[in-house]
Amino acid sequence: MKILFSEIKKLVPDLKADVSKVGNFLTMAGFMMESLEEVRYLGKKDWLMGLEVRHNRPDCLSVLGIAREVAAKWNKPLVLPEFRIKQKIGRAKNISVKNGRFVKRIIAYRVTHVENGPSPEWLRNFLALYGMNSKSLLVDLSNFVMIVTGYPSHLLDERKLEGDLVWDLNDKFSRITTLDGTEIKLKKKNEIILRDNKKILALAGLVGGKKAEIDEKTETIIAEMAVYDSGAVHKNASSLKIITEAGNRLSKHLDPNGLPLAINWLLALILEQAGSDQSQVEVFNYYPKKENAPKIIFNPEKSKKFAGIPISVSENQKILLSLGFKIRPIKNSGNWRIEPPIGRLDIQQEEDLIEEVIRFKGFEKIPFNEIPKLTVTKDITPKIVRLVDSARESLKTLGLDEILSCALVSKEANRQMACIEGEPVLTLNSVNEEFPELRVSLAPGLLNQLKEWRKKNLKFCRFFEIGKIFCKVKGKYLEHNSLALLWGDDEEKFSLNEMRKLTEKMLRSLGLSNLVYSPSSNKPQIANPTVCFDISVDDRPIGVLYKLLPEENRPAVYLSEINLNQVLRSLSHGTNEAVYEFKEKLVTLDVNRKLKKTESIHRLINNIVRKIGKKHLWNLEVKDAFPLKDGIKYTISVSYRELSDQKAKDLHAKVFGL
Amino acid sequence: MEYSQLIVKLEKDLKKVTEESAREKIWRQYFGREGVIKKALSGLGALPQEKRKERAIEIQKFQREAQTLLDEKEKELKKTAFKENLASERESLDFEAPKIGHLHPLTETIKLINDFFREQGYSIMEGPEIETDEYCLQRLNVPIDHPARDMQDTIYIEEPNVLLRTQTSSIEARILESFKPPFKTAFPGKAYRNEKVNRSNHFMFHQYQGVVVLPEVSLKDLFGTFSALFQRLYGPSVKVRYRNKYYPEVEPGVGPDMQCFNCRGKGCRLCKGVGWIEMGGAGIIHPNVLKMAGIDRNKWMGFAFGLGLDRWAMAKYKITDIRTLMGGNLGYKYYENENSL
Ligand SMILES: [Zn+2]
Repeated sequence: MKILFSEIKKLVPDLKADVSKVGNFLTMAGFMMESLEEVRYLGKKDWLMGLEVRHNRPDCLSVLGIAREVAAKWNKPLVLPEFRIKQKIGRAKNISVKNGRFVKRIIAYRVTHVENGPSPEWLRNFLALYGMNSKSLLVDLSNFVMIVTGYPSHLLDERKLEGDLVWDLNDKFSRITTLDGTEIKLKKKNEIILRDNKKILALAGLVGGKKAEIDEKTETIIAEMAVYDSGAVHKNASSLKIITEAGNRLSKHLDPNGLPLAINWLLALILEQAGSDQSQVEVFNYYPKKENAPKIIFNPEKSKKFAGIPISVSENQKILLSLGFKIRPIKNSGNWRIEPPIGRLDIQQEEDLIEEVIRFKGFEKIPFNEIPKLTVTKDITPKIVRLVDSARESLKTLGLDEILSCALVSKEANRQMACIEGEPVLTLNSVNEEFPELRVSLAPGLLNQLKEWRKKNLKFCRFFEIGKIFCKVKGKYLEHNSLALLWGDDEEKFSLNEMRKLTEKMLRSLGLSNLVYSPSSNKPQIANPTVCFDISVDDRPIGVLYKLLPEENRPAVYLSEINLNQVLRSLSHGTNEAVYEFKEKLVTLDVNRKLKKTESIHRLINNIVRKIGKKHLWNLEVKDAFPLKDGIKYTISVSYRELSDQKAKDLHAKVFGL
Repeated sequence: MEYSQLIVKLEKDLKKVTEESAREKIWRQYFGREGVIKKALSGLGALPQEKRKERAIEIQKFQREAQTLLDEKEKELKKTAFKENLASERESLDFEAPKIGHLHPLTETIKLINDFFREQGYSIMEGPEIETDEYCLQRLNVPIDHPARDMQDTIYIEEPNVLLRTQTSSIEARILESFKPPFKTAFPGKAYRNEKVNRSNHFMFHQYQGVVVLPEVSLKDLFGTFSALFQRLYGPSVKVRYRNKYYPEVEPGVGPDMQCFNCRGKGCRLCKGVGWIEMGGAGIIHPNVLKMAGIDRNKWMGFAFGLGLDRWAMAKYKITDIRTLMGGNLGYKYYENENSL
């Protein structure tokens, strides 16, 4: 919002502070001065301040609103211009509200015998500073009032109306040509409109239509000012893609109670600048449900608690009074009942008042060089966070470089990967059409990086990424932390076993043992199908290890990808009793077991482990696997602990049915 | 032969000896069953009485001297053998520089900030990237029709409820709901907005947020925490200011700015003439947010803060194109001779 400094001074005549002091205050109080431009206005040097206005302060999208803040800060009176309307005001006929679902308040004046023409120089200059072109006297006055008060208004040429002027929700017009000639297609969905009996006249709160535009021949005008449901205006503005000064203000929560001042000021200006002795005025008033500011219980002791610095009760009082709040102490409680002034719909509860007090006390008064006293709270860091950190450090130590890739990928990239659990997750509206899906694997990102590094002749193509991967299973969205490493190095010869060792080093550093590899059941398309293995721990699949399909004149590329959430589950299942007290020596006994080719040795081992039980099992090892015609003969060696020779033999015989 | 001569001979013989076996052989010549000493002792009986004693003393003296010589030789041989053994153990180092791994610039940045907050007793958290509108916005006091939604171009998975989180504040909403206060948490994370990818915009970006709920907190605590963090990140001379700013999820809200490092506050292109660079947002948690999470606002207070990470990492590592961070042109330099001896 641009604000001319002299306009603030006009409203706060006693203000002594210069523009830089005022700018500084506004910046610290929530209206950052983004720009300051030296300009000339009315033949004098002036300053044009560019202020960032907080979303919840539409009242400050105006000179008046900002001037109120400034007046309060320096505790100077705010002097509103005086205007008097001499005319008797009759009741306007033929103006109505048909569907007022989103209409909060309307005041419309019908003024006859006006004469439109060019604007005086001051007005043209004024608008130019605010980046607006002068249209005609009447239109310019309407814009002037919007800038000064924050309330947009809209003028219609009565002569161009066919029948009544009606506020309605659009259910029959499919397009409107706006004042600047743009044609907008309408959606007939909760569009608040102004219409007559035949045609659409305006999109209420957003933009006027060409059909009732005022011109130099206009003699009777209807000047309307309204406040609508801000959400509805906002929705219309974004669905119809209309950005206007009016829409910007009315899509925020403007106070309907501030409307009379603004429209009466406009009426006075119209009568003064464009009216004549014959001008007659009629009014249409619509305010079905008065919006009252809430009365808030406020404890003046709280603001100092929030700020962390002393703020006296009288300081609280002084600040709130200077901002126009009404204060009524509540007997024997120390609390006050506060009523906000017109325009301050942002003040809804006690915390809002606390902010006002601290804002005007000054954020710069709060020291910022004291670290708060260390309060100890429970550490609630999830295990996965630590696991990810450890994995990352481990891979760095192993000489791999970390990369980061996009979580959104092409459909093709996902299709080449094996999505183990479900189907890929599709986004609906990504503007980057080539990347519509969430990745099911980190491999595409790593391969992309490999391609780029090779293009640029970078050595050491060995890197990893840790990030989320996503899928959809039975309508549910799942995501988990994945870790993938890739070795595509020209520098060092590599093999599947080297890759296994590398992956294992990392996994072991996280605390995993008992890693088991088996031919992969779900091979990604990019993998060499003969060199693709699932990695599991205690029958729980945790990842995959594979060699990529060969490329000509390229060293082999190996990739492994680990589901860190599964690793975490495996870790929490494992025991971490590393220390035992020994009273007996270990007893190691062997046994032979024959399995069919289709039978799993891992299942057998799991069974044995369960049967022996934790108490006496020290170690179990498959020492030998001897292929037979119809299966494999395994030699299994079991070490028993805390058992005498004889007792160990007895247990061994029992477990293996010897 | 006289014993004095025998000693000289023994000395001479031992000088030639280089191995333990040869020394043992000589030992046997003198001290063995058939050795010189045994023979001399058994010859004593044949001597006349008066000569016998004198002879015996002579033999004993010889025995002592010979033993000493042989013992000395044994020590010498052991010493030599150890030296030789030591020499044979010699190994040399290969001077091949090991490759070191690198963490991503964003990870380094996050680590730095995580470390800072861990020292302050914070827990480091995480949360889902696929979120619902409720946790991403509504629970942060941004209702459906709120104008602040304009700034957040959402990538939807199921419109209007399932989306990619547009801010890591969704983690805040989940922490507030899931944990009983008091707690102090900080959390880095990815967020997504529907932006065309180019040099300075990306649909994926990184934020760092925190939320603290204690019986009592103040803006002074928040400012103090933030300033200490900025000093950790940018050095002790960094200048920070805290101005009032509106965010729906906090009240009062704060916009921390850092004085522009390029122009030192005078105003330049980098800071768009303002002299300050906006670093994020913060504030005392809005009572509505606490209420939605079921936290009693009369018992607990909290503050929350958020920072953008990408720009910071880019500035620190002099990266000019945001796409570099997400793959593509990111490369690491190896100082190959760094570890050579
Ligand atoms: Zn600068």
